[in-house]
Amino acid sequence: MTNGTVLSSRVRLARNYEDLPFDTGKKPEEAATCISRTANALALSGLGDGFQLIRLNTLTDTQRKALAESRLISKDLLREPETAAVLLRHEDAVSVMINEEDHLRIQAVRPGLDLLGAASACFRVDDALSRQVAFAFDKQLGYLTACPTNTGTGMRASLLMHLPMLTVCKQMGNVGQIVAKVGLTIRGVYGEGNEALGNLYQVSNQVTLGRTEQELISAVTAVGHQLKDMEAVLREKTFTTSRVTLEDTIFRAWGLMKFARIMPLKEFFKHWSGVRLGAELGLLPVSLETVDALLEQCQDANLQAQAETTLSGILLDAKRALTIRKALK
Amino acid sequence: MLCEECKVNEATYTLSVMMGDEVKTRHLCGECMAKMNMTLNSGNIKNLLSSILSAITGNDTPAEKQQEVVCPRCRTTLSQFTKSGHLGCPGCYEAFHEQLQPMLLQIHGRVQHAGRQPLATEDAQRARSRQEQLTRLMEQAVALEDFETAAQLRDQLRALAAKEAQA
Ligand SMILES: [Zn+2]
Ligand SMILES: [Zn+2]
Repeated sequence: MTNGTVLSSRVRLARNYEDLPFDTGKKPEEAATCISRTANALALSGLGDGFQLIRLNTLTDTQRKALAESRLISKDLLREPETAAVLLRHEDAVSVMINEEDHLRIQAVRPGLDLLGAASACFRVDDALSRQVAFAFDKQLGYLTACPTNTGTGMRASLLMHLPMLTVCKQMGNVGQIVAKVGLTIRGVYGEGNEALGNLYQVSNQVTLGRTEQELISAVTAVGHQLKDMEAVLREKTFTTSRVTLEDTIFRAWGLMKFARIMPLKEFFKHWSGVRLGAELGLLPVSLETVDALLEQCQDANLQAQAETTLSGILLDAKRALTIRKALK
Repeated sequence: MLCEECKVNEATYTLSVMMGDEVKTRHLCGECMAKMNMTLNSGNIKNLLSSILSAITGNDTPAEKQQEVVCPRCRTTLSQFTKSGHLGCPGCYEAFHEQLQPMLLQIHGRVQHAGRQPLATEDAQRARSRQEQLTRLMEQAVALEDFETAAQLRDQLRALAAKEAQA
């Protein structure tokens, strides 16, 4: 019953070149050095195969945003599109963002709960690069980063989790306590401020200095398991005590997703969560892969990129509804 | 208990902040917790950093009256860093060492790096990838409740670590 609570695991490493100033995004000359140096180093290391260098200024605004929605690059990389670039290996979602807040952000995403896998992929790139180039590093402080909140390992390990029951049963307060106690943070992934659209949360380590990467990963993994178990207990309980109500939520969401002709983004997130829960509980004839793919396909920029035109308002919401109907057929 | 921040709502969250080796606990309501989380997680981090830094450097003194520290490499000044929360270059860590040390302690609770290092030699890399491979296998074994294999792998990892410590 606990299957699929963790959608994906992501690890990010911040790295900087010793001899360049930070904030290269605003410095075209240094930004160009960063890009060519990184691309060359990766090619020389023998790991370059499969990586594609994409300069963000060669993409349209929609294409750039679509990459961010797919979580292949960070939203922060969109801030200076003229100077930003990414080395992207599509097949296993490994990317090296260049001229973000730090010179480099090495990132890997793995499906399910697999932070070690994501970390290993990052470390391979990190090692390959560090044999060719000198990263800013201090024996006492570790990797030196543009912001002191990332100093040390420069690593953020995070889990994308679907926690509908914990949310509905107003348990996120408890969850916040558990998470804060061990130096982690949890926040909604989509929406403004307090919102957690789709009941999707990101758990990640807050501190980066003074712990090994393994320690940080173990801490996040342990909390991931704990939240998964808490969610599972609530699901079991709800399934036995208020089965009809639970099924109604799920099948209503299923009906709307399968048949609606206009689907605004917020409403999509709401019903997405219902359908995902139904799929996780084995109540709906749809795979988790299909449901998770929708999360990416149905956001604004991805819809527009696919339509190859700028849609807005009702047209965009109609395109979203159509995309959902096709996927759930 | 009432929220310590707004003193209006019921406190439902406990936020632990590392101050040196001490963990300070604050009781907050959902709203204030969300605000705090946003400060910690988003671009607003710079506000948090400035407040920490001004607490360290004495917030009553106007910036221009303090003696200005400048990074010799990138010319970033301490007050620029205080305002933006971002350092100018790797050299800033040395230039602002005195101010950064307590700040890093407050953020991370520790100030001695314990993680990976840039690779020096290919041998080191080979050893490291072997180590990572063993660790993965061990976690898999634990997940499969194959504790015998896990123990063997753990011993191999220990031997590897001992060898590394000698080198
Ligand atoms: Zn409050
Ligand atoms: Zn500097």
